[in-house]
Amino acid sequence: MKPGTRLKSAACDTEVMVIRSADGQIECGGSPMGEARPTEPAPLAADFSAGTLMGKRYIDSEGKYELLCVKPGKGSLSVEGAALVVKDAKPLPASD
Amino acid sequence: MPTDPASPGPAIPLARWADRQIKAMADAHASPALAALDGATLMGERGANYRISGSISPGLGGSHLMPTRDGGWFALTLIREIDRELLPALFGSADIDVHDWNAIAAAVLRHDCNDLVARGRALGLPVASADEAPVSSPIEVMHRGEQRERPAGHRPLVIDMSAIWAGPLAGHLLWQAGMEVVKVESRSRPDLIRRDDPATFARINQGKASLLVDFASESEKAALVALIRRADVVIESSRPRALRHLGIDAEALVREVPGLVWLSVTGHGASGEAANWVGIGNDCGVAGGLSRAMADVSGEIGYVGDAIADPLTGITAAHEGLAAYRRGFAQRIGLSMSAITALALAQERDHDRTAIDAELGAWGAATGCPFPLVRPRMLQAPVRPLGADTVRYLDAFAQC
Repeated sequence: MKPGTRLKSAACDTEVMVIRSADGQIECGGSPMGEARPTEPAPLAADFSAGTLMGKRYIDSEGKYELLCVKPGKGSLSVEGAALVVKDAKPLPASD
Repeated sequence: MPTDPASPGPAIPLARWADRQIKAMADAHASPALAALDGATLMGERGANYRISGSISPGLGGSHLMPTRDGGWFALTLIREIDRELLPALFGSADIDVHDWNAIAAAVLRHDCNDLVARGRALGLPVASADEAPVSSPIEVMHRGEQRERPAGHRPLVIDMSAIWAGPLAGHLLWQAGMEVVKVESRSRPDLIRRDDPATFARINQGKASLLVDFASESEKAALVALIRRADVVIESSRPRALRHLGIDAEALVREVPGLVWLSVTGHGASGEAANWVGIGNDCGVAGGLSRAMADVSGEIGYVGDAIADPLTGITAAHEGLAAYRRGFAQRIGLSMSAITALALAQERDHDRTAIDAELGAWGAATGCPFPLVRPRMLQAPVRPLGADTVRYLDAFAQC
């Protein structure tokens, strides 16, 4: 997946921008994400329903994947079923 | 101090506009301390030993103005190392050397300006186009609340949660006007200027009490909100999500606390989509049209002044905050650095078009020259050590 690609959740409102990725399947709410949202929404999997937060960066344990949430939603992010976690906060406010 | 007093650089454009705002504020508030300040000093004291450096911002900041494929100019500020990790996503390419400005400029030249600005803003990067028009009002009253009657001789309490330059300068001017100002910093991310530019930090934070709050602690966050409920003015520069994360609901507080004046200092506006965009003084000056205005009269595009949107906005925020305080009604006021820059330029053109064009022309022709001769102000009050006043102000610590 090319950096800068925008992916949408099939199960909720979440949208992410790809910062870094490998060949694995990127999912939200337990369903694969795509560049277009499917006409029929996918069900939100209970294990992946913690929600995404606007502006947060999400990473996997090996640092191969990094996604930026540009629109929040009810689902949570995973790659091949392994949950992604929030990267540490940035040390700066919005403006100076 | 200036390094070359024999050949001081040209005046900073818009310093006269800043000076008029300061004098109007000093008159309205009958403040001799404010009347003693001047625009050229407030805008130029940080950069007193800088050199005018064209399309690379002077001194601190790391902002570059670069040509795009479609003939535009794209400003990108990289002061956080973590932001460089976003550059592959900005350019849609995994193989770019994110530490090499030449590689970054080459990538910029392969894209159209508006695409880079849109994607940069979605990524949370401080970016701008020299040809954009600010989307927000410079000064927007967002929420209103009740009036508070204050006894004669009441000394207003200001809670300053902002960082870097614009917000802290507003707090500094309120302190000059006689208010009690409390600077609040996060335990996990104190104001970067404290470390990166101690002389500037001292000048704009002198005399303020210093509180250190652990935003991971529910009791400390609650104590901060309780302090805000006792305050007359709040200054903050956080994005909406960050404020929510702190457990702070600005709209509810303005509706519930009579007379509370809430100043939201932002890059590009405090409401709508623009509230999520990041803006820093140099790129906001570009977004406000100042670099294009300089190119139009001098033929040279580049940064005008030193993070110019910061002092323009700090002065405007203090002016608006003092006026709102005198009226006594609670309100939240959003201030947009890019739109304030555009407003200042438009007003200065109306005031004296020949003079501002001459100044912009002189600045554009002065790349490599030192900044104008400005004597940085001496300190009038001590700078409190980080967190020295936490216990005194926050009830949560009263028993410690």
